[in-house]
Amino acid sequence: MTIGVKKVSLTRTTRDQIFLPAIFEGLLTTAKHFFKNTLTPGMGDIETIRYGDPDVDVKDYYPDRFRGVHRLMYREDGSVRCVACMCCSTVCPANCIAIEAEDRNDDREKAPLSFVIDELKCVVCGFCVEACPCDAIRMDTKEHMQPTETRAEAVLGKVDLMSRGGPSVAVQGGVSPDYRAEAPKADPRFSHDPR
Amino acid sequence: MANEIHPSATPIVAGPAPKSALTPPRAPNVPADPTPGEETVTVNIDGEDVAVRPGTNVLEAAKLVGKDICHFCYHQGLSIAASCRQCLVQIDKMPKLQPSCQVGVRPGMVVHTNSEAVLKARREMLEFTLKNHPVDCPICDKAGECTLQRHYMDHDHKLTRVDVPKIRKAKHKDIGREIVLDAERCILCSRCIRFCEEIPGTSELTMVSRGEHQSIDVHSGQRLDNAYSLNTVDVCPVGALTSKDFRFAIRAWELSKVDTTCNGCGTGCAVELHTKHEQAYRVVPREDHSVNGHWMCDEGRSTYKSLDAADRVRHATVDGEQVALPDAIAIAAKRLRGKHIAVVFSATATNEANLALAQLADLLGGERFVLGRPPGRGDEILRDRDKNPNSAGALAATGAVSKHEGELALELAGRAYEAVIVLADSGELSEVSLGGLRGITSVCLADRHTPLADACTILLPAASWAEVLGSYTNRQGKLRSVQPAWRAEGDRKHRADLIRDLLLAMGQRDVPTARERTQRLAEAHQHRQLSRLAQDPTPARPTLLRWANSRG
Ligand code: SF4
Ligand code: SF4
Ligand code: SF4
Ligand code: SF4
Ligand code: FES
Repeated sequence: MTIGVKKVSLTRTTRDQIFLPAIFEGLLTTAKHFFKNTLTPGMGDIETIRYGDPDVDVKDYYPDRFRGVHRLMYREDGSVRCVACMCCSTVCPANCIAIEAEDRNDDREKAPLSFVIDELKCVVCGFCVEACPCDAIRMDTKEHMQPTETRAEAVLGKVDLMSRGGPSVAVQGGVSPDYRAEAPKADPRFSHDPR
Repeated sequence: MANEIHPSATPIVAGPAPKSALTPPRAPNVPADPTPGEETVTVNIDGEDVAVRPGTNVLEAAKLVGKDICHFCYHQGLSIAASCRQCLVQIDKMPKLQPSCQVGVRPGMVVHTNSEAVLKARREMLEFTLKNHPVDCPICDKAGECTLQRHYMDHDHKLTRVDVPKIRKAKHKDIGREIVLDAERCILCSRCIRFCEEIPGTSELTMVSRGEHQSIDVHSGQRLDNAYSLNTVDVCPVGALTSKDFRFAIRAWELSKVDTTCNGCGTGCAVELHTKHEQAYRVVPREDHSVNGHWMCDEGRSTYKSLDAADRVRHATVDGEQVALPDAIAIAAKRLRGKHIAVVFSATATNEANLALAQLADLLGGERFVLGRPPGRGDEILRDRDKNPNSAGALAATGAVSKHEGELALELAGRAYEAVIVLADSGELSEVSLGGLRGITSVCLADRHTPLADACTILLPAASWAEVLGSYTNRQGKLRSVQPAWRAEGDRKHRADLIRDLLLAMGQRDVPTARERTQRLAEAHQHRQLSRLAQDPTPARPTLLRWANSRG
């Protein structure tokens, strides 16, 4: 695809110079929505979440991709899924994940001895979730980080993070048996792809 | 070793005289750039004519024009196996693609390293290599410095087409003192086998089974326990052989490296020190054909452990009290004057520090000693019996007067001196001798807490070998450079600078700084790299490791 350049004229007309027409256009739009939402039965197109109402679970209104407090998933045997690959701590722009690896002495070999996220430093970007090759870390709790009395309480360790966790059913490596059908085509972002 | 006096029968072996000279390991394949005046062969690589040394191979020749032909089994320091077929290139007038590692250059040869056919072969060989590869990069210690990862990203970059189960082999098999084998990740390049046959000559490793089930293993009843075993981890292009010590400690991409010299013995192998945040994680060899070839011994790799942050001396102490450094210097200068003194040079400290101490000894007079680590095992390959990096340099700096360290131990035990200044914290003295240090003015320039350092009454915080720019003189008489991996924390300073401070406090003028001493030494030995660093230490800053496996 060729990328075109759109030329925008920056010369101001008299109409722009006066400003008033633009202001009135804006006011008109606001007024239109005001009357529509107040006068239409069923309140038009706005939706107000009634916080605090016992019948309402705020989480139902959050989009699926909302990024909340982190959690760590576990395997079928209840041990942590994370293999301490450090991909998340490497990609984290806030540098707020600290992991120490240990040898599990079994076929899965590596696991985090400690896994600490400083939620105060976290900028909630979700890169860690994207980077994780094992579906071990997720931000789908739909929970906001609650204010804490001390800074130390906002630093979550492996136990805290796993207490929110659940079993993950992803196949290690992310490939299911019928991967051929699901397999994405070669990634066009890698321009040096020889095919 | 509670009450024994250190045996005087273990003198420091210094100077080239009493030991076998070092024969640097000869690499079977040398770089292709011709030495001036040598006859050359001209070959054409991707349209570029280049004059190379005769007898070299196409792969080395291609490096001269900046083409790094992707390869697994070829290693400059090992014989050629040509088993991986990853390095195929097209050569005019040859009907088939040729392994560039094995084909020698001929006059008028025309080589294509990037033609359609070559790219296709490369991709297909890679796919073949990956057929049974577990691709467990997340838990693989080599990730980030893995040749297979790098070649995959550069040349293949395709999803797998394999939909049958992969062949399983032994995982995390303990095959030696230092090494864990993961046979699944092995790509059967045989570098490790060739290393064990050709360098230590111990041949512990072999291939077992055939076809898809072929894998690397130790000969039955043997273990990979030779004194150079960790080099197999370096030559292994993938994560099949991993070091127990480094395993899971940190990811390779988090490390920064600095080029320095091993301080494990008198050979002074060229090494890289890998660090993160003022903490060292490993030592790996660096190519230096005049000393260590591509290799180093296993003992030398553990030298980084002496840099442990927990033991560091960060501030000066006088009689057990923490004191600001200038005050400590002033007190030391005052107490050292006009006493019957023993000046203890160190075979583990840099030339600069020893030369500075020599200047102090000239001023104060007194008896001169050289103290160092006790001798250990040596062999004909690299290891020297003398476990000090700078015995030759220390001895040269000491000048004519010199007594054995055994006598020092005896004399200290007998309280023969009123004052002692010790240049470094290493060296083993018996309890009795250490007791002799406690009662008198004893100044130690220590970078870590050792029994010797803690026995001294005045402790000056010195920078360790990972924090200074300096030099050692190895057993061949070569100047070896040491570079800083991080800035010295707290009050720690180069030993030569601490002694300079002492000299200034004693009223001396125009004492050269450590950097000036380095500069002079480098010029005297015509060591260009060190001389450049002394003028501008910026390039000595550690660089982040990215695709670090440049060691093969
Ligand atoms: S969400 Fe972003 S900032 Fe927070 S831990 Fe993950 S990567 Fe780091
Ligand atoms: S990326 Fe995933 S597997 Fe890797 S350390 Fe982070 S949470 Fe663990
Ligand atoms: S050897 Fe390389 S490609 Fe294989 S698992 Fe290890 S890092 Fe990944
Ligand atoms: S263990 Fe490593 S060096 Fe040895 S054959 Fe396998 S891949 Fe090559
Ligand atoms: S065949 Fe040439 S590098 Fe392996």
